[in-house]
Amino acid sequence: MSTVLDSLVAGALADQKAREEKLPFDELKRLVEADIYEPLDVRGYLRRPDSVPVIAEVKRASPSKGFLGEIPDPGALAAEYEKGGASAISVLTEGRVFLGSFDDLDKVRAAVSIPVLNKDFITTDYQVYEARLHHADLLLLIVAALDDATLKHLLDLTHELGLVALVETHTRDEINRAIAAGARIIGINARNLKDLSVDTDKYRELAENLPDDAICVAESGVFGAIEMQDYARAGADAVLVGEGVATADDHVLAVQRLVEAGKTVKESNAEPLSQHEGPYFGQYGGRYVPEALVGALDELERVYNDAKNDPTFMQELRRLNKEYVGRPSPLTAAPRFSERVGEAVGAPVRVFLKREDLNHTGAHKINNALGQALLVKRMGKHRVIAETGAGQHGVATATVCAMLGLKCRIYMGQIDARRQALNVARMRLLGAEVVEVTNGDMILKDAINEALRDWVTNVEDTHYLLGTVAGPHPFPQIVRDFQKVIGEELRDQIKDYGIEYPDAICACVGGGSNAIGVMNAFLDDPRVNLYGFEAGGRGPASGEHAIRLSEGTGQLGMFQGAKSYLLEDSEGQTLSTYSISAGLDYASVGPEHAWLRDIGRVNYGYATDEEAMSAFKDLCETEGIIPAIESSHALAGCYKAAADLVKRGYKNPVIVVNVSGRGDKDVATAGKWFGYLTDEQSKALETNGAHGTETDKKD
Amino acid sequence: MTENEATMTNGANPPQPKGFASRPSITEGRIAELRAKNEPAFVGYLPYGFPTPATSLDAFRTLVDNGVDIVEIGLPYSDPVMDGPVIQKASGIALRAGEKIAGVFDAVETVAKAGGVPLIMGYWNLIFHYGVLRFARDFANAGGAGLVTADLIPDEAGEWIEASDRYGLDRIFLVSPASTDERLKVVARNTRGFVYASARMGVTGERASLDQTPERLVERTREAGAPNVCVGIGVSTPEQGAEIGKYADGVIVGSALVHSVLDDPGFAKLATVTAGLADGIHNARK
Repeated sequence: MSTVLDSLVAGALADQKAREEKLPFDELKRLVEADIYEPLDVRGYLRRPDSVPVIAEVKRASPSKGFLGEIPDPGALAAEYEKGGASAISVLTEGRVFLGSFDDLDKVRAAVSIPVLNKDFITTDYQVYEARLHHADLLLLIVAALDDATLKHLLDLTHELGLVALVETHTRDEINRAIAAGARIIGINARNLKDLSVDTDKYRELAENLPDDAICVAESGVFGAIEMQDYARAGADAVLVGEGVATADDHVLAVQRLVEAGKTVKESNAEPLSQHEGPYFGQYGGRYVPEALVGALDELERVYNDAKNDPTFMQELRRLNKEYVGRPSPLTAAPRFSERVGEAVGAPVRVFLKREDLNHTGAHKINNALGQALLVKRMGKHRVIAETGAGQHGVATATVCAMLGLKCRIYMGQIDARRQALNVARMRLLGAEVVEVTNGDMILKDAINEALRDWVTNVEDTHYLLGTVAGPHPFPQIVRDFQKVIGEELRDQIKDYGIEYPDAICACVGGGSNAIGVMNAFLDDPRVNLYGFEAGGRGPASGEHAIRLSEGTGQLGMFQGAKSYLLEDSEGQTLSTYSISAGLDYASVGPEHAWLRDIGRVNYGYATDEEAMSAFKDLCETEGIIPAIESSHALAGCYKAAADLVKRGYKNPVIVVNVSGRGDKDVATAGKWFGYLTDEQSKALETNGAHGTETDKKD
Repeated sequence: MTENEATMTNGANPPQPKGFASRPSITEGRIAELRAKNEPAFVGYLPYGFPTPATSLDAFRTLVDNGVDIVEIGLPYSDPVMDGPVIQKASGIALRAGEKIAGVFDAVETVAKAGGVPLIMGYWNLIFHYGVLRFARDFANAGGAGLVTADLIPDEAGEWIEASDRYGLDRIFLVSPASTDERLKVVARNTRGFVYASARMGVTGERASLDQTPERLVERTREAGAPNVCVGIGVSTPEQGAEIGKYADGVIVGSALVHSVLDDPGFAKLATVTAGLADGIHNARK
């Protein structure tokens, strides 16, 4: 089918015959028998739990690209590959087109202690013996160049001589033939023939249903980090790279970059989910920040890792959580609210409320603010800055700063400051400086931009106390760890009601910290259905919402330090978001949520303003609890989760709603919404003089 | 190793770029030319599309005509965390004027034709959204030299490193006075063109005076292995340019230029300010 392959095979065979003239086959066999080299255990090098091994190739030329470059010292090149972290070296011995030789193979063998692959057009027993004589550990067999009988025969001979074969395939049919012949290491060629890019869909299709013990090597089209990550995510065990390393200026660095990229993919998918560590959650997360912040992020990570292993630190955190915050927060049965939900979905349900609204300062935000403030003390910094949307995180931060004697400045978008005027006043009472941000859309994202600018300027003595599981690593992980106490308490508290585990948990998702906090303890328990609800605003079609995770809304992008789903326009500019709830009004979402969405662990939906406000009132009337408007999205979601569970056959399901905060701050908004306050009255509340300094008027 | 390659040999498909584009760095070439004359490079920044996409092309020509060697063409972004009020304002004006990323390559061509070295400064999401390889291709085709990445550190730059290697584009990463020696090495090792050293901690913007840190940072960055180090952020006067130009390979000015366009959209002031800065910078060592 391929004339190029035919001519390469014919040429290789003719060259082999010429060598046989000088060294007859019998003599070659005797030399091999007398040889004491023990081939390396290649399989151990090519499949690793924590990395994607790189086979780096010594390559001078190829039929498609022609001459690539001189390699005067193949041994030195191979040693550089090894230094960069290569797991094996591939050496071409074909001389006509690829300009390789057995002299190259000998030099490479002498220079490295990792497995060496002899790449040639092998069709005869003689060539297998030659590979063995030159101390290759691995040789290449191309299915397209061999019939079934010859393939099996050469493969058996290879194994007999203590080597293994990388068996190259291009199609599903060839893969089947390779497996039937007993191949254990399969090379898969999955280039898109149109543009020669890596086609991971084709790779997945080809690599599907392979025996568990077969090692898959992605064999072509790997140039750099892009293809490495694509193949690694598609499940390749190892990759073979030629040109991308052979023609690099710095061979060590080129291999290192590939090895790092492979490791990153492996680590980014590590389980158990509840203990997953950053910087990456699947492909999300990372540190997309100015270099000026890298030192501070490194320091934070170091101090945090040190602190979480320090019993004194953890004890202090537990003490303050109990004595200052008032933890554990109760788990409250909500029978009358359950009835209302049950009526709506036409089947009985049992709803419980996790009462983060009863924490000191009235929301879950204090869990994280307290933990990070203790880290600030540990780092020896004196100044804290923070952003706030609804004002809850700002209040929590101002509170812990007052308690610990830290200087505090809070950035708040002007629109948010107006709709949460009472919280602005609270922060000022607590001694914090509140800066009203008048840039951009004047909401949460703009407050974060301004806080980042402050941090870039004052990073030496300032800690940015980020309030949610977003932003650059290590924030998503640290905030999760300080919030996971919610779910850990819940896991025990539900047992006091004689219930082994909840059937479902509902939480609202802005950045996503209360949701991660309540869900973390259950991520690895498939019996517990997890539901996250974003701010639907005036509905997805209106364009006025903050839905990032539903089909057709958010796109993959980098925003404020992390890669995640993002609401952006066709140019990559951030879209304006809208929600009645300031705390959920954010263009992106924590990277862990993006990952949990992709792997299907959490069901994400949304609740519109209308639905959230209706659930707000339902809870007020049935249980005598005024929830935050943010939390009301989770309560509205409870109706949707209940309907879903009933549809799926659950009888009287147990649903826990995380009431992330209390609604005192929202009374003006709600009063206006339900017509309990006149326009003048709400206007008066909106302009009651409790605002902060405007950004352009600050020092 | 044969089937696809056979297809390629038959010429049925557009060729993939052949590995590392081993073309010499345009930016390094220009810095070397200037060094031979004992002159530091004058790197001037303006956002593309400011005050409008069409007139901004005249602004870029004005820069080159008045002595800017290397032009940093900014991509306006809705959330520029590394920029102070002046550049934020200019970016906002450009976006409202209908700036589109595809048009930035006109600016690249304009600068190249005028004899300047065209760089683009962009926040990463814009380039990621456009498509990294596609961006590299279009940028190289327009005659671009390299990209300054304000919020992309080498650790996250795998895709850009690969794309820039394939298309022979320069990678300009930043360092700050707070960078550790270890970080300086990471940046120096992954940079091509020059390392962008921040004169002070903070975002872009004019400053009346500078402290001593830039010189020490330039030294430390060179010790970390960077052949070329240019200094920016907070540099706004010919005097500051002359001072920094004594030891840095280039002086980067942004907000002062943007400011002059805000003051006078006819670019007369831009021409005067640019010429003044060029005079200070190019004569720094004389």
